[in-house]
Amino acid sequence: MIAETINVFRFAWRNLWRNRSRTGVVLAAVTINILIMIVTYALMQGMLDQAVGHATNISVGEAQAHHPDYRAERSFYDVVDEPDALLESARTMGVPGTKRSYGFGLAAMGTKSAGAQFWGIDPGAESGVFDIDDRVQDGAFLKSDTRGGVVLGRKLAFSLSAEVGDELVVLVQCADGSMGNELYTVTGVLGMVNDDIDRTAALMHADDFEELFVSGGRVHEVAFNSRGAVDAEEFTAALSAQFPGAEIKTWRGLLPALSDMLHLFDGMIMVFGSIFCLAAGLGVMNALLMATFERIREFGAMKALGATPLRIVRDVAAEALVLAALAGVIGVLLSLPACRYLAVHGIDTSSLSTGITYTGIAFDPVWRAVLTPQIVLRSVGYMVFFCIAASLYPAVLAARLRPVDAMRKQ
Amino acid sequence: MKRIYAGAAVLALFVFCCVSVSRAAPPAHEILDAVDDLYRSSSSSGRVTMRIVNKNWQRELTMDMWSKGKDRSLIRILSPKKEKGTATLRAGNEIWNYLPKVKRVIKLPSSMMSDSWMGSHFTNDDLVKESRMADDYEYGINFEGEREGARVVSIACTPLPDAAVVWGRIDVTVDAATLIPVKIDYFNEDLELTRTMEFSDIKEFGGRKVPSVMTIRPADEPDEKTVVIYERLEFDVDLDDGIFSLRNLQK
Repeated sequence: MIAETINVFRFAWRNLWRNRSRTGVVLAAVTINILIMIVTYALMQGMLDQAVGHATNISVGEAQAHHPDYRAERSFYDVVDEPDALLESARTMGVPGTKRSYGFGLAAMGTKSAGAQFWGIDPGAESGVFDIDDRVQDGAFLKSDTRGGVVLGRKLAFSLSAEVGDELVVLVQCADGSMGNELYTVTGVLGMVNDDIDRTAALMHADDFEELFVSGGRVHEVAFNSRGAVDAEEFTAALSAQFPGAEIKTWRGLLPALSDMLHLFDGMIMVFGSIFCLAAGLGVMNALLMATFERIREFGAMKALGATPLRIVRDVAAEALVLAALAGVIGVLLSLPACRYLAVHGIDTSSLSTGITYTGIAFDPVWRAVLTPQIVLRSVGYMVFFCIAASLYPAVLAARLRPVDAMRKQ
Repeated sequence: MKRIYAGAAVLALFVFCCVSVSRAAPPAHEILDAVDDLYRSSSSSGRVTMRIVNKNWQRELTMDMWSKGKDRSLIRILSPKKEKGTATLRAGNEIWNYLPKVKRVIKLPSSMMSDSWMGSHFTNDDLVKESRMADDYEYGINFEGEREGARVVSIACTPLPDAAVVWGRIDVTVDAATLIPVKIDYFNEDLELTRTMEFSDIKEFGGRKVPSVMTIRPADEPDEKTVVIYERLEFDVDLDDGIFSLRNLQK
């Protein structure tokens, strides 16, 4: 059985190379198809990863804990009960996190003023766990040992005409109902992050926040980010079990629009991939059809010598399989450096548009490829499947030939 | 052709006037004007205590107030200590705040007009609004008779289509004899009760009888309220225009 299978493939291999130019053309076509598929998928994956990374690594994180009413009401008095215990517990699971306090108020500079959401953060933990410090476009991020500075979202800074070094007047209502006001220095302005942060965020040291709002150490949010090291769903379930009083959600729950968009994209990629394979498969079928017709007299002779129709189908299909497998190997080998190049350099679309925002998520203008084993398996698998399926039609045609007619064909 | 248009315009104006006149039949119109003019005069000055009860805290503020004409007023906080010297200047549609701690003046953005003023249940808009109910609303008496031992008249006001008001309906209840307001109910655009303002403790200030206590209660937070108590109030006082300047604000 094994010997026969080996023989089938040996014949297929030998048959393929009897017409080098024809096989070469088909091989090249399938190889290029596989290469294009892998690169396209890798770029798509890169874009999705980037969107998720943007959404999670900058400030949202993989999971967040709040008071159950906080996300709906945004009340200053709905706080996370045991933020430090949550952080400690998460740390033992390998997920670092950071505490945040939020308060609304008025930011003013000169005659300009705007409503702002003030973030009280721990600058060290924040920049360790998240990438928001990398998004500072002008100036610098907050420092653990420096007080009195604020970092503004870009649209907020723009509407206040505030630049690094400017003095910002802040007026808020404190936790005890009194009015708090203070002067801060703008130390940094963020680049594009998302609409919410761009328009309203004013980040300050947690100690400054506490003094301004007389907040008594109130924490409204604990955000966790392991950068993919720990599964967000499992982590959230485990932490929720330990802290039933807090509402802990994964980024999918926190950013339902993004989560839905990713599902949509996944579906779209599947559809496009199938169309792509179908087109490539038709090309392969055409080549195999030509090759079969070219060898029609040969098949006639084989049948005259006693080959069963099934054997002829098997032989033609085996040729397609060998061809597709060979194309797969070459295609994958070629795609590796291509993806590597696109992972490092990416495709710069910034000349086409200035930053895309979709459902409040900013997309980087530079597209980078991300190659995963699934992409390789999916592309090669699709292609092999379509090649064999495409070879069946000419194979059946050949198998149904009458030897006499076939041998008489010119 | 032009003459026909002019004729049509005159006719339309005439019809409009008739409608207006029939709608403006006293005493509803007089009542609304009386309520609007209650604390209004060419100029005034006074001292007020404001008690705010919020579900999370409560506090009391004392402040001096000055006003001139319809669109200029100044409020300066005297206590508590933390806010002492904080001042709010209203000039036309603009609101400016002076913050003594940082010695800066800031202008309130129009996006925050509907936010609370100093944590109370008054909005910044309440300080600014200069509209007259009789001009912005369609109105009619919807109750006349005894209520809680006093003869009152209640008028339901619904905003005219192009009036720049935030309410869906206002019910004004006044004492039938004195036309001094007893209660005003504010409804939102879905005609749900949003807040209630009650007037009590009628006192004589500067020859006028006015309620010295105003209590405002939000409908969705039954335990919360803001009480404004007039300690002192003078009408038609001689005030220099300079009082309502940004320069004076910073003093």
